[in-house]
Amino acid sequence: VNLSDVAIVGVGVTRQEKRSERNSLQVALDAAKLALADAGLPHTAVDGIAARWPGPGGTDLAPGSADWSTLLGVPLRWIGDSYPQGVPALVDAAGAILTGQATTVLITGGQAGVLGGGRVASYTQPGNEFVAPYGAFTAAHFALVAQRHLARFPHARRGAAEIAATIRNTGSANPAAVMSGRGPYTAEDVLEATPVVEPFTLLDLCLASEGGASVVVTTLERARDLPHRPVVVLGAGMEWLRQQYVDPARYDQAWSIGAAAADTAFGQAGIGPQDVDVAQLYDVNSIEVARQFEALGFCGTGEGTDFAADRGIGLDGKLPTCTDGGLLSFSHIGWGAPTLKLAEAVHQVRGTAGDRQVPGAEVAVAAGAGSGAQYYNLALLGRAR
Amino acid sequence: MLVGGTLTEGFWEAVARHELVRPVCHACGRSFFTPQVACPTCLSEDWAYEPSSGRGRVYSATTVHKAPSPEFTVPFGLGIVDLEEGWSMLAVLVGETLPQQEAAVELTWVEHGGRELPAFREVDG
Repeated sequence: VNLSDVAIVGVGVTRQEKRSERNSLQVALDAAKLALADAGLPHTAVDGIAARWPGPGGTDLAPGSADWSTLLGVPLRWIGDSYPQGVPALVDAAGAILTGQATTVLITGGQAGVLGGGRVASYTQPGNEFVAPYGAFTAAHFALVAQRHLARFPHARRGAAEIAATIRNTGSANPAAVMSGRGPYTAEDVLEATPVVEPFTLLDLCLASEGGASVVVTTLERARDLPHRPVVVLGAGMEWLRQQYVDPARYDQAWSIGAAAADTAFGQAGIGPQDVDVAQLYDVNSIEVARQFEALGFCGTGEGTDFAADRGIGLDGKLPTCTDGGLLSFSHIGWGAPTLKLAEAVHQVRGTAGDRQVPGAEVAVAAGAGSGAQYYNLALLGRAR
Repeated sequence: MLVGGTLTEGFWEAVARHELVRPVCHACGRSFFTPQVACPTCLSEDWAYEPSSGRGRVYSATTVHKAPSPEFTVPFGLGIVDLEEGWSMLAVLVGETLPQQEAAVELTWVEHGGRELPAFREVDG
């Protein structure tokens, strides 16, 4: 079997907003409808799904994805409650398709109607008994990794602020971004913004917003009969260092998370970092972007911020990164956010990214998770050969 | 809660006595944390809580400026402390100037977020 015999044929991203009037199930369904329409497929073509069940309705029985068979009114051949969505769901779907368990898999998710009330999003406060009492939250775990890196490479603080400013400015120009029209930002703006947890200010950190995201996956053979240029999975890799947000992430282990996954993915694809045209890295914070350039082999340890500055990560740069504005400016929708990375990578590779299209983009990396989360995953997407 | 019940209650019972304990494996002698059903080095289930000296070194430190929920008062110090028995934990850092990375620290107790919790303050060292 060959991973590149699997293609993403449809993507759907709903309106992303700070607070939605809809609920999580509705936006997941909205995104699914958009992705299926984009693929030119009726919902009855779906015979596999990786979505879990965001509620309301459904049952409390696992696996939650089975509840979708009732809603869609179609019997399913394969389901997977992939955690999270994005790349792990894509890999699960590819496995199901390549082993003949399903032909057309829907991946969908997101969040809506869950934020608000002045509290930080519940998923940013994992409730483990050795974490919650101390007042740790997800950004604090990432901060404890970043602080040690900055003790070693102090210049990376300003470089990270420049990364945040660049990605936020990319999002500012995207009408669909939650932070559309905000800015422009400079590195100084980022450094001087409200501190949240050192070294991060508000502008270093990703959003918590609402909306849905979905992709449709099938065989390359079927994809050739569908409206869009097929985008195939050139390679993928995953790493799970340990359960997230229980034992704190240690810099000496966590900074390089993604290196092994990247070796797997680039090895499968038969390409290297130098062949990547657009990078949909998982920008939960500014320094994580630099970290991923290092861990994924784009540059050496401690060189991530200089690499970003030298190559240029804006839409006019040599390696446009987070081309929709990323989690920092476009949207972060909880467990559905990794699927946003797939959607933007697909748009860029097939040439449907509109005003933010990177000319000639043929290979994209889409990533999920990061150092503070102690797991990481990435996929390389490209044009069918 | 990912773990709980009898696995971790010994830790919290000790905390209630202002005592810091950690699991020590009787098979290989290693300390580990967080508590697990078996020692992560040798997978022996033969372990027990033993008191820690509470002395260690800050592996990484940060200051939290935005409270994750209303019961916490900001700013406060948060860090990973490597204890001298070869284990580590997430903990609150306290002091006139907060202990920074590599600082030698000792155990103290603070009220934090409405609970009495282990914390660490800098010592000469």
